Amino acid sequence: MSKVTSNVLPRSSGISRAGERHGTPQIGVTLPRADALDKVTGRELYAADFYSSDMVWAGVKRAGLPHGRLVGIDAARAAEMPGVLRVLTHKDVLGTNRQGVVRKDQPVLVDDKVRHCGDPVALVLAESREVLRRAIRLIRVNCEPLPGVFDPQAALAEGAPLVHEDSPEGNILLKGDLSIGSPSDAELECDLIVEGCFETPRQEHAYLETESGWACTEADGKIVITCSTQTPFRDRAEVCEALGLDSSRVRVVAPYVGGAFGGKDGVTVQSLLALAALNSGGRPVKMWWDREESFLAGTKRHAAKMRYRLGAKNDGTLHFLDVEFYLDTGPYDHLGGVVLALALEHAGGPYRIPHAALRGWCVYTNNPIGGAFRGFGVTQVTAAVEQMMDILAARLGMDPVELRLKNALKIGDRNCVGKTLVSSTGLTDCLETLSKHKLWKDREAWKAGAGSSKRRGVGIAALMHASGYGPVVPDYANAKLELTREGRIVVYCGVVDMGQGNASTNLQIVGALLNQNADAIDLIQPDTDRTLPSGSASASRCTYTFGNALIGAAEILKDRILQRAADLLMIRDTNDMVLVPGAVKHLPSGREVPLSRLAAFLNDDERVAVHHFRAPVARDGLGVEENLSLHGLPHTLFSYGAHAAALEVDEITGIVDVKRYVAISDCGKVINPQVYEQQIQGGIAQGLGFALSESFDVLNGQVLTPDFTTYLVPTAPDVPEMETLAVEIHEPTGPFGLKGVGEIATNGPLPAVANAVRDACGIRCSEFPLTPERVKAALESKERDGGRE
Amino acid sequence: MRSVHLPRNFEELWTVLGNEPDAALYAGGTDFLVKMRSGLEAPECLICLERVEELIGVRDEGEEVFIAAATTHSRLLETTLIQREFPVLAQALAVLGSPPIRHMGTIGGNIVTASPAGDTLPPLYALKAEVEIRSADGERRAPIGDFIQGPGMAALEKGEVVTGVRLGKNARWNVQHYEKVGRRKAQACSVASMAALMEVSDSGVIQAVRLAWGSVGPTVVTSAEVEEALCGEKLCPDTLRRAAALVEKTVSPISDVRAGAEYRKTLAGALLLRLNDYANVPVTEA
Amino acid sequence: MRISFKLNGTDTNIDVRPDRRVVDLLREDMGLTGTKESCGAGDCGACTILVNGESRLSCLMLAVQLDGCEITTVEGLDGGRSLHAVQESFIEHGAVQCGFCIPGMVMASVDLLNRNPEPTREEIRQGLAGNLCRCTGYQKIVDAVEKAIPYCKAGEES
Repeated sequence: MSKVTSNVLPRSSGISRAGERHGTPQIGVTLPRADALDKVTGRELYAADFYSSDMVWAGVKRAGLPHGRLVGIDAARAAEMPGVLRVLTHKDVLGTNRQGVVRKDQPVLVDDKVRHCGDPVALVLAESREVLRRAIRLIRVNCEPLPGVFDPQAALAEGAPLVHEDSPEGNILLKGDLSIGSPSDAELECDLIVEGCFETPRQEHAYLETESGWACTEADGKIVITCSTQTPFRDRAEVCEALGLDSSRVRVVAPYVGGAFGGKDGVTVQSLLALAALNSGGRPVKMWWDREESFLAGTKRHAAKMRYRLGAKNDGTLHFLDVEFYLDTGPYDHLGGVVLALALEHAGGPYRIPHAALRGWCVYTNNPIGGAFRGFGVTQVTAAVEQMMDILAARLGMDPVELRLKNALKIGDRNCVGKTLVSSTGLTDCLETLSKHKLWKDREAWKAGAGSSKRRGVGIAALMHASGYGPVVPDYANAKLELTREGRIVVYCGVVDMGQGNASTNLQIVGALLNQNADAIDLIQPDTDRTLPSGSASASRCTYTFGNALIGAAEILKDRILQRAADLLMIRDTNDMVLVPGAVKHLPSGREVPLSRLAAFLNDDERVAVHHFRAPVARDGLGVEENLSLHGLPHTLFSYGAHAAALEVDEITGIVDVKRYVAISDCGKVINPQVYEQQIQGGIAQGLGFALSESFDVLNGQVLTPDFTTYLVPTAPDVPEMETLAVEIHEPTGPFGLKGVGEIATNGPLPAVANAVRDACGIRCSEFPLTPERVKAALESKERDGGRE
Repeated sequence: MRSVHLPRNFEELWTVLGNEPDAALYAGGTDFLVKMRSGLEAPECLICLERVEELIGVRDEGEEVFIAAATTHSRLLETTLIQREFPVLAQALAVLGSPPIRHMGTIGGNIVTASPAGDTLPPLYALKAEVEIRSADGERRAPIGDFIQGPGMAALEKGEVVTGVRLGKNARWNVQHYEKVGRRKAQACSVASMAALMEVSDSGVIQAVRLAWGSVGPTVVTSAEVEEALCGEKLCPDTLRRAAALVEKTVSPISDVRAGAEYRKTLAGALLLRLNDYANVPVTEA
Repeated sequence: MRISFKLNGTDTNIDVRPDRRVVDLLREDMGLTGTKESCGAGDCGACTILVNGESRLSCLMLAVQLDGCEITTVEGLDGGRSLHAVQESFIEHGAVQCGFCIPGMVMASVDLLNRNPEPTREEIRQGLAGNLCRCTGYQKIVDAVEKAIPYCKAGEES
């Protein structure tokens, strides 16, 4: 064999650089991601990777108490420390000093009250990270402590301390009260009503790249913020308003993000960085939260308390649902109201339930901030409703798949908020595929093989997840493509790639439509000066909305290129002209015009194509109050799924060991099977963490799990082998028939695991995650009660 | 500026220690440097022990095995002598931290850190390990149970360094068992753990037993009472269940963010039940 | 103080505070930002480097500990020529999503395959247990390491 030095591949190895041997990209075929090469070599520059010799470190003193009136800030000792440039407070903030996606209730730097332990009080600029750390420790925050509220239901009680004195409804951020059909009559018509209470914990995003950014001031005074964000355009608006800057003064650039999952949907470091840059004497500023700060100050999945009553006829037909739930949104809106609305919309799961009473409260407390997290309220209610379905199936003596199939939503049905489904609805296909899968079919044989002290069980969950922003907030994207003078194609990505791979998918779409090799296409990452506003990287919308815009732009550019080539070759029309890699070819004559030559015959504007796409919205008049519509209720496009978990419970310790996992999803047509699998697998792993080990614990507003030692995300041995199947039902409105895939998988594991634990050993816990301690306690209590549930 | 010394042998070590009597010592840093980052430790001077040649390696001394203190967990885990003579220790090392933590962390570090959750400690207690301590002036030895006095408290005087542990070989233990309960499968601090050495006769009777529990008291817990209750009894669920009830009375766990005291108490007893897996199993020579 | 070490094959001699964390030295002083920091406390593995061929956490090492050692960071893994088989495999088999854990994951994989050239999937999972990934659910990372096995062995034999 050829001489090779340690582990460096001969070129004949069959593995090659991404894109090299793959030809022009095709839709529906795996194409290794465009970002992978620079990420595996360490060359990719994340927002956290910027340094310069003249830079300044910026960092924040955080309050450390959950609720108190700010009396003063003693920063004299810090300010005098050698190496400290400035200590800034709210007095240095010249704008509104308020941020927020919906309600602007979060200060850049605290000016009146501290509302949770992670509130920022003072901003320090220092020569080094070490000096910064020591200076921050020297600052004293003088507060008059106020009684706090730490439980959503307690916060609703008469006389409870108010988190925001000026809030129109006290501690209620948003309330939803929906009545669909005739729930009170329907309740009496049921043959059977089952009840259940469930509590799910706060979940931390735990992205590997903590919040970070880099701000430079250009000669004309413009501040350029390069940061880890899902929302560069909205960030710019928030920063400018909070700091009193004209929007022309701020540019936000979003490189590849080191994980986000909703936690970077909204401002983290941005305003602080801009404020620091305004006071750094023109020097570049770096801010990079450490893990503990990220955990303390970052948003969390809302902790939820849910009470369910589900009624059915004897034949298993669902008839009635009554739901009451409370979400702990911490002290700031962030996106809490929108989370509430999405939870309401999915409270009944993917089923026909003609009569429903749904009541939800999103409540201010002095706990850490509740916000966007992959799954966005649906994760919590799915945990409840999918356990209710198993409870009902057990009472009816029905097979859990059969009960779900019987009630599964089909196109034309109304969901639990009365919205008529008009887009592709593949739940039945998912459930039927699952029912034939060997993990489900052969489960009794597998369960019988459990070893000593072990019990095995298999559980399922059916899923539904909306995508997009809902009926009012416009869900649009503006795609821009350029044919460069060199004959290359540039994609101006308007939506951030936080790891989900949409940048690569954009490249694949353009490559396929223009028949160009992946390595002839360049990506420009979101940048408020260079790319066009296209909304947030969130809501399972990225490729649906931006992809549709991109297809439009590619078609415009293609038509223009072909037409100009035809003109050049003096051919009457473009019917026989095709794009080939690097050129346009006239098929009958075989003549080719290189793209570089064509580009020279187009003026600068002609080389650019832009297309605007606006996602369809629900037209149903549901009689929902306007505020809920504004917060996104209802949606019109949904993805579906059916999950199954096979697990073993150790009776000695209570440890739950998930052995196999199957996820079948209807996310429309798959553009890149590898990226599709990545999304589903990653969602499952986060969901398994939520089911088994992750709980961001807080006592009286103080964080009990401040780091990765105490907050336990799954490690490689914790995640089982997963099978991810796609039911590829074409969605007519989606790009190539695609629907959103980003969030749905996160919602399955908790209920599937809980149902499997019940199947294994007859126990059902009401509090999550299912720690060994909870499971052991339930096993013991079952034993004491002689096996009764 | 904080000084950091990297002595290469005892001679250099004693010199540095003589000059810097208040220096903090670390061997691996997987615990100490974490505390330094959080501000719990702020020494002016540090001595890193990882290069001291006398502190590295495993020696077969006939009846005993000497493990030098700055030997990493990985190195121990890969040492045939440890795998052969002390599988209970090897089992604990295999679930300690993560691969990079095992490449850095050392057995001496685990001992001096004296955490009730230290993974090597229950096996070392069960094996009745003897800690070897040296200073510029001489050497002393102490049973591990005496050397560790409380959580984070080791009987180490200024100027002293743990140089290693001695473990007696003992072929009679035909069952060597370690189990750790954590809240996930890897990189988990133990909620409770148990090391067990048993001699089980061909007829299934427990001839001798030594047990040690981690994370269920301020230090590792051992119990002569429980061991006596098991000795001479048949290895079967009934025997183990009776002993488990005794264990629950013996341990004194705390509640923390990882688990409640009640669960830990239950676990300490329940972990004994796992030993039933060794009943009716043909036991091989250790 | 002055320390000397070999960094990615190059003899390096620098003046540095002895208590500077290696991760800061690499990223901030030497511009090698491929090594990431995510927890600073040894829990996540993002800062994994190879010291004398063995994986270590650069957030829990002080500069003085580099003296006399051979250090490899993700930037030096390929010897400046071509990609390491593990890197190729990560690209091809979809192991990379956000990528922030990936340099550490790659280094841990190389360490694993050096110690155990033919790991089972379970052994791969155990070998990567010190490296947290929040995007992938690990499956494609395990796939990638598994698929790199023959190429790594081929490299060693020649």
